Order: sequence, then C-alpha cells, then structure tokens
Amino acid sequence: MNANELISINNKKRNQLNEDNLAFYEDMLVYMRTASNKSEQQTEEILLELLEHLIEAQSEGKTAANIFGPDPKAYCKELINELSKEKRKYNLLFATRIIIQVAAIFSIIDGVISSALYYLFNKGENTITLHLGSSLISFMGFLLLLYIFIKLIFWWLKRSTFVGKRTKKGVEFLQVWIGSTIFILLFLAIVYLIPEFGPEIQIPTLASIGIGLTLYIVSYLLKKKERQI
Amino acid sequence: MSLRSQLLKGILEGCILAIMNKRPIYGYELSIVLKEFGLTNISEGSIYPILLRLQKEELISGKMKKSEAGPKRKYYQLTAKGKEALAEFNQQWELIKHPVDRILNSGGNK
Repeated sequence: MNANELISINNKKRNQLNEDNLAFYEDMLVYMRTASNKSEQQTEEILLELLEHLIEAQSEGKTAANIFGPDPKAYCKELINELSKEKRKYNLLFATRIIIQVAAIFSIIDGVISSALYYLFNKGENTITLHLGSSLISFMGFLLLLYIFIKLIFWWLKRSTFVGKRTKKGVEFLQVWIGSTIFILLFLAIVYLIPEFGPEIQIPTLASIGIGLTLYIVSYLLKKKERQI
Repeated sequence: MSLRSQLLKGILEGCILAIMNKRPIYGYELSIVLKEFGLTNISEGSIYPILLRLQKEELISGKMKKSEAGPKRKYYQLTAKGKEALAEFNQQWELIKHPVDRILNSGGNK
C-alpha cells in the first residue's frame, strides 16, 4: 500500500475514535507528519498502526494517554527518531515535479487568460511576450516564496500541537487569511517590481496552453514514478 | 534517555524477538502478550519505537495480512538476522541473569 492509500484509510478509521482520543491522536498525527524529511511511507504506516491500536484499546475502555504515555510529544520524537530519512532520489524527483507543475500552471493560466482576452474580447495580442531574464527570476522567486510559505504552514501546524487548549477557530481563520494575503502580495510584488530584461521571446497564447498541458502530463508521470520508489 | 529506560528497552527488545520467534504477531496482540507475561507497568505504546528500530535493523519484517477478526493488520515476524540476534540475546541474558540476581539478593555483601 502506498502512502496515499494509507492516508485515506487513516481518514476513514479516525472517525471511530471518541472525542478525547481523537484530539490526542490528531496532535500526534500532525506532529509526526510535519517532522522534516522522514520517509512519508514509513510515517503513514506507523500512524495507521498506532490508530488501529488505539481503536482496539478504546473498545476496552482505555484512553490514548494510557497507551502512549503522559508525554505524547516525547513519545512522537522517539518514533520519529527511528524512522528512516526520505530517499534522496525521492526528494529530487519530488522537487523536480513541483517545479514542472508550477511552470505548467503558470503557462496554462497565462495562456487561458490571454487567449480569452484576445479571442473573446478582442483585447491584447494573441502572443505572450516573455523576457527570459526577468521571467526566470520571477519564477525562481515564486518557488522560493512557495517553499517559505509551506515551511511556515508546517511550523504553524506543529506549533498548535500538544498545547492543551485549542486556538479559537476565528483566530485560526484570521491567521491563515493574513498569511495567504501576504503570500499573494509578495508574489505580485515579484511579478510587477522586477524590471523586464533579457532576450524576448514570443509564444502564441494557444501554444502556451499546449506547453502547459504537456508539462502537466510530465509532472503527472513523475508523480507516478515517485510512488514506485 | 535515562540509563534505566535504555536497559529496559534492550530487555524488551529481546522479549519481543522471542515472542515473534513463535509466530507472526501484530502490534496490539503483542502488547497483550507482554502484559499476560506480567510486564504490566510498560505502556502499550512503548513497543512501537522498538518495532520501528527492529525493522530498520532488519531483525523483523512486517507484512499486511488479514487477521482472524477480519481487517488487515501488520504482522511481524523474525528474519534470519533476527533469529541470530535472538540467539545472541539469550546467550548474553544467561550470562548476566544469575550474577545480577545473586548480587541483588545478597544486598551487595560478598
């Protein structure tokens, strides 16, 4: 079974836990999943095993604290310690896939919007002008931003575990909203503040959609390959 | 980690290997067997870090199999390397068990 299948089984089985055990288990789940660079496969395998143990124990009236001890954070650290690191080949493939996927999404969105403007509303041109230098910098800037944003989300999720009391839903929503707004503003700043430079190339808007779709298929194939590692 | 829990872990590891030598077993079942043998003050969860380590060292291997109750569970069994490790544990335990018992029972007096 691959990690995705394990995750979907986990999602279904978690419903069987009572409220207290669920809260206890979900803290462990978030903490372990956000542990950096451990094999996803192994992490999901042990998480499902712990869940099944907890479900069985619950039916005999035991609590999560009875089973995992009074210090779940230390317990999780102990488990994480024993997990293997994600394989280098997997990390490389994953990073490549994300980069291709982001490029695909950009090409498709840019292509679709420009095509729609031109063919439906007669605005703009039927080609997209790319300045190779600034486009490359914007693209890399976006990837860096994405990386930082994901790291921040992981940090934010992890911070909320094992604290006893839950942050209010409204406050959480506000935090996510502000974070996302800053992310979008920074992205727009990258796109609009970097002056155009480098050789120019013209791509027909429809070709941009085609390139995007091709890249997307490539990223999809890479994803399939990731699972086989 | 304290020396005490290190020691306990090493012993628990040996016990787990011995139980798996008899038959394949899954996590929850294993914790029940350990309890039945009298190891009642160990929290059930403490077997999982050990199971992970034993797998990493290739002393045991886990396989998803249908259980008697129905759902699929991860059953663990000893590998050839695990059998060797168990034999070694047995041997070392035999060497240490009686002297330690004698020392403790005598209260340290020679």
